[in-house]
Amino acid sequence: MKILLTVLFIIMFLTGNYADGKYEKAMRQNLEKIGECKTANDYMNLANNFERIALAEKDKWLPYYYDSFLYVLASFTDSSKTQKDIYLDKAVESANKADSLEPDNSEIYTLKGMILQARMQIDPMNRWQKYGAEINKNFQKAIEIDSLNPRPEYLIGVGIYYTPEQFGGGAANAKPILENSWKKYGQFVPANDLMPNWGKEQVEQYLNQINQQK
Amino acid sequence: MLNCEKNFKSGIPKQVIRKYIFTIYYLILFSSITAGQTKISGLVADHDKKPLPGANVYLKDTYDGISSNTDGTFSFTTNETGEGTLIVSFVSYKTHSQPVKLDGKDKYFEIVLEEETSELDAVVISAGSFEASDEKKSVILRPLDIVTTGANADIYSALSTLPGTQQVGESEGLFVRGGSASETKTVVDEMVVQNPFFSSVPDIPSRGRFSPMLFKGTFFSTGGYSAQYGQALSSVLVLNTQDLAPRTQTSINLMAVGFGGSHVQRWENTSLAMEAGYYNLDPYFAIQKQRTDWKKAPESFEGSANFRQKIFKNGMLKAFTSYSTGGLSLNIPNLDNISQKDFYHQKSRNFFINTNYRDILWDDWTLFAGYSYSIDKVNNDINSDRAKQDDIFQTGKMTITKSLFSNSFLKFGGEVQNLHAASSFNEYSGKLYETYLAGYIESEIFITNDIAARIGLRSEYSRAIDKSNLAPRVSFAYRLGKYDQLNFAYGQFYQTPGQDFLIQSKEFGFEKATHYIINYQHTGSNRTFRIEAYYKKYDNLAKGTVYTYPYFNLPEVTFNNDGSGYAKGIDIFWRDDETFQYVDYWISYSYLDTKRNYRNYPALAAPPFSTPHTLSIVAKRWFQDITSYIGLTYTFATGRPYFNPNNPDFLGDRAKNYNNLSFNISHIMNVFNNFTVLFFSIDNILGINNVYGYNYSSDGRIKAPILPPALRTAFLGMFISLGEENPY
Repeated sequence: MKILLTVLFIIMFLTGNYADGKYEKAMRQNLEKIGECKTANDYMNLANNFERIALAEKDKWLPYYYDSFLYVLASFTDSSKTQKDIYLDKAVESANKADSLEPDNSEIYTLKGMILQARMQIDPMNRWQKYGAEINKNFQKAIEIDSLNPRPEYLIGVGIYYTPEQFGGGAANAKPILENSWKKYGQFVPANDLMPNWGKEQVEQYLNQINQQK
Repeated sequence: MLNCEKNFKSGIPKQVIRKYIFTIYYLILFSSITAGQTKISGLVADHDKKPLPGANVYLKDTYDGISSNTDGTFSFTTNETGEGTLIVSFVSYKTHSQPVKLDGKDKYFEIVLEEETSELDAVVISAGSFEASDEKKSVILRPLDIVTTGANADIYSALSTLPGTQQVGESEGLFVRGGSASETKTVVDEMVVQNPFFSSVPDIPSRGRFSPMLFKGTFFSTGGYSAQYGQALSSVLVLNTQDLAPRTQTSINLMAVGFGGSHVQRWENTSLAMEAGYYNLDPYFAIQKQRTDWKKAPESFEGSANFRQKIFKNGMLKAFTSYSTGGLSLNIPNLDNISQKDFYHQKSRNFFINTNYRDILWDDWTLFAGYSYSIDKVNNDINSDRAKQDDIFQTGKMTITKSLFSNSFLKFGGEVQNLHAASSFNEYSGKLYETYLAGYIESEIFITNDIAARIGLRSEYSRAIDKSNLAPRVSFAYRLGKYDQLNFAYGQFYQTPGQDFLIQSKEFGFEKATHYIINYQHTGSNRTFRIEAYYKKYDNLAKGTVYTYPYFNLPEVTFNNDGSGYAKGIDIFWRDDETFQYVDYWISYSYLDTKRNYRNYPALAAPPFSTPHTLSIVAKRWFQDITSYIGLTYTFATGRPYFNPNNPDFLGDRAKNYNNLSFNISHIMNVFNNFTVLFFSIDNILGINNVYGYNYSSDGRIKAPILPPALRTAFLGMFISLGEENPY
């Protein structure tokens, strides 16, 4: 009987978790591939994988989140301004879907801010007026929802790092914000291994770079 | 769990449990092993059979799928069975879906994706037009270009670096393709502006009245424009004002020629901007030597208010009003009596209001309604003579747009313009009451993603001359490839003769121009090439001798409508943001062949505002080290005709070639932690003595060159945004 029960439980475990296991397995597999992407096409292909999961699952925001995130990364690797905007249009679409499935999420607001930041970077001289305030609004909202999320401050810091000193930017102004973000990264534990957990190495790199400059 | 165990032990017989377990086991085995796999493979391509890599190919509601390879092929297997749906999606293409039987047999599909008709990819009707907008992504000009081109941050001087325009240094306005300045109309938020320039004195151009900062979009057409606009034989400049101001902000402007300030207040759905400035060129003239003999340097006060209210979800109410007053006086050499100078004194006032409302009525109906009023008063005193000109101009306009399939739409509407003009010279005076009515209907149709047509009809009636007309206009765009496009345009354009004619006689008909345009355009993401050839035919131009004319010794011409002319030429534009790192430049070249017989011309002649060759080169670069944006503009134009009463060949003389190299720098800095832009510009760096033309004494024996007011003109200003946050 005991053996039978064990078998039963194993089977119940296997069958009961069958659907979720598939989702998590697929997500995990694709998340591992992010680091391998080099070209815009690589990012787009991987984004397609997440989009398929998102469309099949219907009620999960994370696949949309990564779909959008990868399109932002794709926009960074493409040299054509028009193409960058096309990628970001797609990123906005998926971020909005994530937002509608999971309203008031700090990570999604961070992502939205990041998309706007990428938009502005395409043509900062012409787009600064339009996007500056909007970027800030999204990051502030992300911090307001989850003050422990290190990513909004990481992106704010990077934004300031690349802003001319005359606009209140530069390494010196970015440093305290990046340090604050770094502190939060030290304490940050994602709710599970599928949750966004990126940016730590980059903050470290920026801080090293800033410290070396002095 | 204990309960469970108990139940199992007591309630259900062993055999049943075993059977149940086996069933589940079998089901799992069945689903993962025994079901036949279906292999789905194929090819994704676009309409032109070009493979599309990176398309997402998948079975609906499953994880099964793959991205297409660089050659457009794909292949994946699925364990699903039964009826499935294969979906292929790709950025900026329409999603394709089709049923697929999952029966274990290999499937092969060749899938052709149709491009999505989006504003970004679709063919754009663009014959004759240049557009600067931050809403459309692929544009020839950007809003910032208006401010950073040329020497004086003026909309009109920036646009005169585009092909199709002529360099006419002694007067304001846009002289487009052989047309006079009065053949170009400025339209603000759909409504024609009667006096878009500050009042000017002879041979000294004035600036445009509107700050480039007011506008989010600038649309400049050098021909073949939409049926929505009329009363312009050559060109329209359509300026669309900003919506809600982005944020609350206070600014202080300090200039070598004056000072001013503005405050913008932003509420959730409302914004209000107030601006005021005082300008006095006296201190500047004291430093920079002027050729003009100023008695009192130009002095002016300007104030404006700009209100925006968002109404419900999609409605936007806009109201803009401005007031300005100015005065100046100078001595002008009198060529008929060289020992004496004419004393010229000018006083001017202008009030302008433009208010309009735009809303989406139902899903695909859009309404625009606007009203504009302006009053312009100019007093010119020349020695003891008194000349006065008062214009009161009102416009009402309404347009309804109905969206059709794809991006196609149908537009129709009407317009009323009312002009009340009074001019006097000492005891002589004349009045003009004109009411102009127009109705128009126009449709833009995207037949496919590659072919679009704009077909419009405008009908106009002028009460002053009691005539009406019917003006058909068409424009076609055909996309040759992703970046290449061919455009054609044809249109008839009418304009009532100028005020100076109508005050004296009403026996006129509409002046008419017919445009034929063919254009090829390549728009890459960072490079643009455009070549346009045109032919413009003028008919029924007003003829006659009006007392204000400089062409003396010419036989008097009675008023008639028999003037005519033509203009033909080629305009070339090249913009490149890619070849040189950080450098953005454009080159424009215009070839123009034009002649006309109008006003009191005795024969067909090339007018003084035309020249065969014009070249402009504009280059800009951002320098990070000094946080400055530097722009250089070089303009060359062959000499323009001028009137020499001694030459039997009317307008047979040519002035010398025109050369101008101007420089501007916008330096970004902090003043007491406030974001500040320091702007400096200077024209004619090379110090070339440009001569626009010549004036003659009545007897034709004395000749004086028409020169710019100074060899060089410089501008220095500091614009401080108080408490401006950094952009993050």
